[in-house]
Amino acid sequence: MNITSFKYPFYLIFHPFNGFWELKYEQRRTASLAVSCVILFLLVLTNVLKAQYTGFLVNYNNPHDLNSFMEIVYVLLPVLFWCVANWSLTTLMEGEGKFVEIFISTCYAFLPMVLLQFPWIWLSNLISDQETPFYFFFGNLSALWCVFLLFIGNMTVHQYSPSKTLLTMALTVVAIGFIAFLGLLFFSLIQQIVGFASTIYQEFELRK
Amino acid sequence: MSSTLLRVRRSLWIAFVCLGGIGLGGAHAIAADTSSSYNYTYWGDTVASPDAYEPAALLTGKDLGAGTFNKPSDLDVAPDGTIYVLDSGNNRVVVLDAGFRLVRIVDAFEQDGAADAFSNPQGLFVAGNKHLYIADTGNQRIVQLDADDRLVQIVDHPESELLAADFQFKPTRLVVDKANRMYAMAAGVFDGFMEFASDGTFTSFVGANKVTFTPSEYLWKMLSTRAQRSQMVMFTPTEFTNLDIDDEGFLYATNGQRSGSVRKLNGRGNDILKRNGYFPPEGDIRYTTADGPARLVDIDVTDSDMYSILDANRGRIFTYNGDGYLMYVFGGIGNQLGAFDTPTAIDRLGDDFLVLDKALGEITVFRTTEYGRTLNEAVRSYFRGDEDQAYQLFRRTIDMNANLEFAYSGVGKALLRQGDYAAALQYFKRSEDRSHYSKTFLLYRKQVMRAYFPQVMTGLLVLAALAIVWRKLRKMSGKRKVSSVEHNVV
Repeated sequence: MNITSFKYPFYLIFHPFNGFWELKYEQRRTASLAVSCVILFLLVLTNVLKAQYTGFLVNYNNPHDLNSFMEIVYVLLPVLFWCVANWSLTTLMEGEGKFVEIFISTCYAFLPMVLLQFPWIWLSNLISDQETPFYFFFGNLSALWCVFLLFIGNMTVHQYSPSKTLLTMALTVVAIGFIAFLGLLFFSLIQQIVGFASTIYQEFELRK
Repeated sequence: MSSTLLRVRRSLWIAFVCLGGIGLGGAHAIAADTSSSYNYTYWGDTVASPDAYEPAALLTGKDLGAGTFNKPSDLDVAPDGTIYVLDSGNNRVVVLDAGFRLVRIVDAFEQDGAADAFSNPQGLFVAGNKHLYIADTGNQRIVQLDADDRLVQIVDHPESELLAADFQFKPTRLVVDKANRMYAMAAGVFDGFMEFASDGTFTSFVGANKVTFTPSEYLWKMLSTRAQRSQMVMFTPTEFTNLDIDDEGFLYATNGQRSGSVRKLNGRGNDILKRNGYFPPEGDIRYTTADGPARLVDIDVTDSDMYSILDANRGRIFTYNGDGYLMYVFGGIGNQLGAFDTPTAIDRLGDDFLVLDKALGEITVFRTTEYGRTLNEAVRSYFRGDEDQAYQLFRRTIDMNANLEFAYSGVGKALLRQGDYAAALQYFKRSEDRSHYSKTFLLYRKQVMRAYFPQVMTGLLVLAALAIVWRKLRKMSGKRKVSSVEHNVV
């Protein structure tokens, strides 16, 4: 764990093919894991600050509804879902990636989001209406870059062909839908069971 | 005896404590203790607002000495304040002066030496020359009487290739412009308003509503056979429900659509209504699906582009300024003074409102409150371009109602003109006025850049110079290091 571990993601985002290969086979796993956690933290931080401090002209968030906790969840939950769904699928589809590798490659892929969006939180306070297209351009650029890195990362980690990677990524999105649905179903059922138990308890209490 | 005293004292104490509580609660929202009205914020939240209008009087036909009204359907106020009430069920027009005293009753007129009367008339309009136009629906005609109730002309049986041969002309509402052209809304006409020249000849239709249908309706039509289709409801444009005309001759119209229910029509029939407010100027934005959106039955336009619409569903009157910002709301359905059963027509008498209730046959008079007067005048001053007065009045409005977001924009615009950009930015932000914020920000940025340009540039140059010096120093020390390394090697 040293300074080169933190320099590595910057090399990776500009040289994704070599970058992800070395990440999988040559970098130290623990160091990479630490770095990915840092990147994820920065992503969360960017998202929270973005909701609050983006300039008035491009910020359409209702300040009364802002909740930093929810902003954190909006980042962590999709990342977690993505990794779990991707891992579940690729174990069945002859992918070579371990869960840790999937997590690390996903987190590294998010670095452009932090790099481009974080400065624009502050820059967006200095722009007028005519200059807002720059803000949206860089926002979209970072998202596209991130998706591209996710694609390369997935391909390298699982040693897939490009077409199989695309298929896997599409299926991962479907799997995320399934997980979300099952999660909701589970919570709703638990809620009903708890409600049932508490009603019975109340009934007993009132009839004593 | 003592126990009752004690009880009285205790209830007094409770009342006192409660009063204290009211005072404490009201402190955080200005004027919350007197407010029963509301407004909508940019975010669509309903917020408290002071009353802009208060019910002042209730007039029945009996009180006026004209006998009970029977299903009155329209009223109009002449520029001099004379009030004309169309008592449809009794086939007459009741004329009142501005002080609500009975002047006369028009229930017949002379045509070719014979007396003629109205039959279930639905609409009336008083022109600038005090000529009275009546949509005599039952007799399928428009009757024009002069200021002394003598017949000027009768408009009936309009003829044109635009009209079907068996066309039944049933005018229900009408307005007349400064050139004495008549615009009539007629039952069963989907092509817009019928425009008549001053001599009573039909010229054309104006401003038809567009046909609207949902994709699912369209799909059903596509799938149906011709025989089935002939049995289905046709896609026809919605009918208008009412109209008014402003001083410049623009028609303001309401229709029964779910959205786009208010129109401002120019001479070509195009909709030129400004919808720059937080929400479309169509009444309530928050309603239950069971109640549905506003059912607009009347519109009244006054000076400075301000207009009011009447929602018969909830009995509320919404007033908007020319940009489409909601100014205030009043009225309601109920049994108290200031609430209605079947409101059917509104008109302004100066700044007062007259609301006609069809089922009860009553007219409710609403007068402005301090808040309403200030807001009206603020909007007028701004419309006239009197920025300073608008600034003062909007400031006072905000003092009375901190929730009125568009007023902040009015203050901001005045500050912008005065050159106080930093403060103007704050006000535009408060009213979520992004376009003015951006304009102000450009000026502000330029100002700040100009102000700090010398310091920033000097700073940059000094830094550059320091960097060069630093580099040179490092080079020198580097050389020394290299030589020392050589030394070690040797």
